[in-house]
Amino acid sequence: MFESFLGGFAILFNPETVVMTFVLMSTGLFLGMFVGALPGFTTLMALAILLPISFFIHPLLGIPFLLGVYKGGIYGGSIPAILVSMPGTGAAVATTFDGPALTKKGEARKALEIALFSSVTGDLTSDLITIALIGPIAAVALLLGPPELAAILMMALIVIAGTSSGVFVKGLLMLAVGLFLGMIGQDPIGALSRFSFGITEIEAGIPILPMLIGLFALPEIFVAIEKKATEIIDAASVKISGARLSWLEFKGCLRTIFRSTAIGTSIGMIPGVGQVVAAFMGYAAAKSASKTPEKFGKGELEGIAAAEAANNAVNGPTLVPLLTLGIPGDNLTVILVGAFIAHGLRPGPQLMEEQGPLVFAILIAMVLANILFIFIGYICIPLFAKVVTIRKSLLLPLTLVFAFAGTWVFRSNPYDLAILVIFGALGYMAKKLQFDVTPLAMGFILGQPLEYAFGQTVILSSGNLVSYIFLERPITAAIIVLTPLITYLMWRRSMRLRRQFGAEE
Amino acid sequence: MRLHNLMKLAIGAVLAVGLGGITDARAEYPEKPITLILPLGAGGSHDRNARVFTSVIPDILGQPIIVKLMPGASGQTGTSAAAKAKADGYTLIFSHNYFDQLQKHVKKLPYDTDKAFVAVGSLNSGEFSVIVHADSQLKTWQDLVKFAKANPGKLKFAHSGNWGATHSPALQLFTEAGIADKIVMVPYKGGGPSMRGFLAREADFTFQFISTIKAQGPKVRVLISAGTKSEFKGTPTFKDLGYTADIGKMYRIILAPRGIPADRLAKLQGALIKLQGHKTYKRLIKAIGEKLEYINGPEYEKIRPMQSAAYKKMIDGLKMKK
Repeated sequence: MFESFLGGFAILFNPETVVMTFVLMSTGLFLGMFVGALPGFTTLMALAILLPISFFIHPLLGIPFLLGVYKGGIYGGSIPAILVSMPGTGAAVATTFDGPALTKKGEARKALEIALFSSVTGDLTSDLITIALIGPIAAVALLLGPPELAAILMMALIVIAGTSSGVFVKGLLMLAVGLFLGMIGQDPIGALSRFSFGITEIEAGIPILPMLIGLFALPEIFVAIEKKATEIIDAASVKISGARLSWLEFKGCLRTIFRSTAIGTSIGMIPGVGQVVAAFMGYAAAKSASKTPEKFGKGELEGIAAAEAANNAVNGPTLVPLLTLGIPGDNLTVILVGAFIAHGLRPGPQLMEEQGPLVFAILIAMVLANILFIFIGYICIPLFAKVVTIRKSLLLPLTLVFAFAGTWVFRSNPYDLAILVIFGALGYMAKKLQFDVTPLAMGFILGQPLEYAFGQTVILSSGNLVSYIFLERPITAAIIVLTPLITYLMWRRSMRLRRQFGAEE
Repeated sequence: MRLHNLMKLAIGAVLAVGLGGITDARAEYPEKPITLILPLGAGGSHDRNARVFTSVIPDILGQPIIVKLMPGASGQTGTSAAAKAKADGYTLIFSHNYFDQLQKHVKKLPYDTDKAFVAVGSLNSGEFSVIVHADSQLKTWQDLVKFAKANPGKLKFAHSGNWGATHSPALQLFTEAGIADKIVMVPYKGGGPSMRGFLAREADFTFQFISTIKAQGPKVRVLISAGTKSEFKGTPTFKDLGYTADIGKMYRIILAPRGIPADRLAKLQGALIKLQGHKTYKRLIKAIGEKLEYINGPEYEKIRPMQSAAYKKMIDGLKMKK
């Protein structure tokens, strides 16, 4: 293994290709950030369109290029999420909870910087873990199946419900609505239609991107229109150079970043779960661990750090099941399979044995990409931050156009626009009645994989659910036993905090 | 040079998706880019094949074919959009035989694929094989059938989702082997997760693409395989054991709205036939592990009703058992 690792260095730093590798990787990162920042254009689409390029160039040029797009895209999605409350990609949804609030305070630049540094820290750490533990991670990927996933998701939902801030009943209600919305369409196991009333367009469920753009971006626009333009952002207070991230603030977020990195890395090991779920779990964990959970959702730097570190930390480990077992972890890695096999490399156990050095060269390139990532991201931030200095009378209509255009390019389906408008209206009403839409989004996003995984577990158990879990799936059993304990501890903690700080509210 | 062209193509594709085409239908067809709807998501084998052939086809057709992904509702979103499109040869759909001929027997669809589409051709096909773990006591397909009949509900099968590309052929095979009601069908979200489930021994056997199986090496044993000649030594094909030869063959088909002018259809078919001899295409298709086995439209049209009849028989059989 170690020999392959050293061999990887030799291959990567081959003087003939090394410059081109890094140039292409930088191009990929920039393209990825750009596409990720455009609402509706997902990282997945960018990768699919750019894939043919890798057919014609050396794998050590093509694959790092695609990896750059991948990493850049996951970060890029956070840019519109922070600036105009519109998630550029699904992975950035949790960033819309705190990002826009910071932008309103005139701290857009700070928010973009913490997003970048958390993304890179999460990504880099998880990449290093990936290289160091490539064998064990492959084993874990096989240990964590549908039953374990169901138990983990269940625990996450219970923790979220038990520690929600604000009016408890309101949060719970929104969570339930989110879970319900996630059930609309065909049930994942028996393909029975539920609550779709014969509308074919929602048979496969409510499309996530139009729904979330509607829920998060449209209400912001409506509210902004209601108030006078000057009240939203005091243009004078937002200087482009103003409000940068201080080292102290970054240090304050480090605990959160590493917690999220751990969560993201573990999620990445399980094939088929992905960045969106990781970001939500990272956010929920940060909130329940925080001493000031009531600040979350109102412009808390840690909230952005939690979501961004978690979603980028997924990137490294998702490659492990692909490279070692031949199982692509998510749709993005499925595209990478194309790039591999176009060069006669079939990801799987054979590849590791026969082409070990090449695999490590790619992994090392992935680690080094993070360094480029910091530079490119940092150079671009002032550029992006300028968006908030656009006059509100121009920015608001522009945002509205982007919300609709973004929804349209997502699948070119007119019904998606209807979904956008319906959820825009729902989000606006919720805002007016002071319901937080965050638990709704969490229920919607975590509920669907939970239902699927639970259904699979029931099938796998052949009807004897209890004996199956306790006799054959020890990890699941452990998680189930721990859930009430953890929930109780979290609840007690949040109660104590509420008593301590309750008077201030 | 190649790279440069592709960059342009990629940027062009982004622009075209964003802006939509501008119509003018006087000059010789095709005089603007053709849209190819994919009723499936990015990254799957359809997507991969589409990327390969659309990156070469401008050389032959003189105009690019732009891939438009419209996934959702088990292919219905993209298919109904294609069914509603103008039959002018500028909108095509890249589908497969299960969406085309099986789905109508299990779901109420807002279109009739036979009336809505005519086959331009079948680009190639994905072939599946049945695998068990290398240390399994089931040495042959016959062993598996015998075991399943003697122990109903004992064997678990991992597939990539209901009525998907591995669920449907598996059901067809199990029905013909008389074990459809003896196997526990475990759904996974896609081919990758179903392979994970199999490798983690949550399921006893699964259907996978031949190329995926080859990457696994000696960890798995192939019991029975698609195709006319088995890719795996000493392993029978479905045909060898007397099953419908088409089982486990997912045809990647290009369809056009049925009213397409005959000369335009012929032009497309001519281009696809020419494509088979194109050097770059041959190299790329081999590189992604696929074969050159183009079936032209008129021939494929003969296969469609046969598929429909076979699927209907299978579904009716399953309903009877319930």
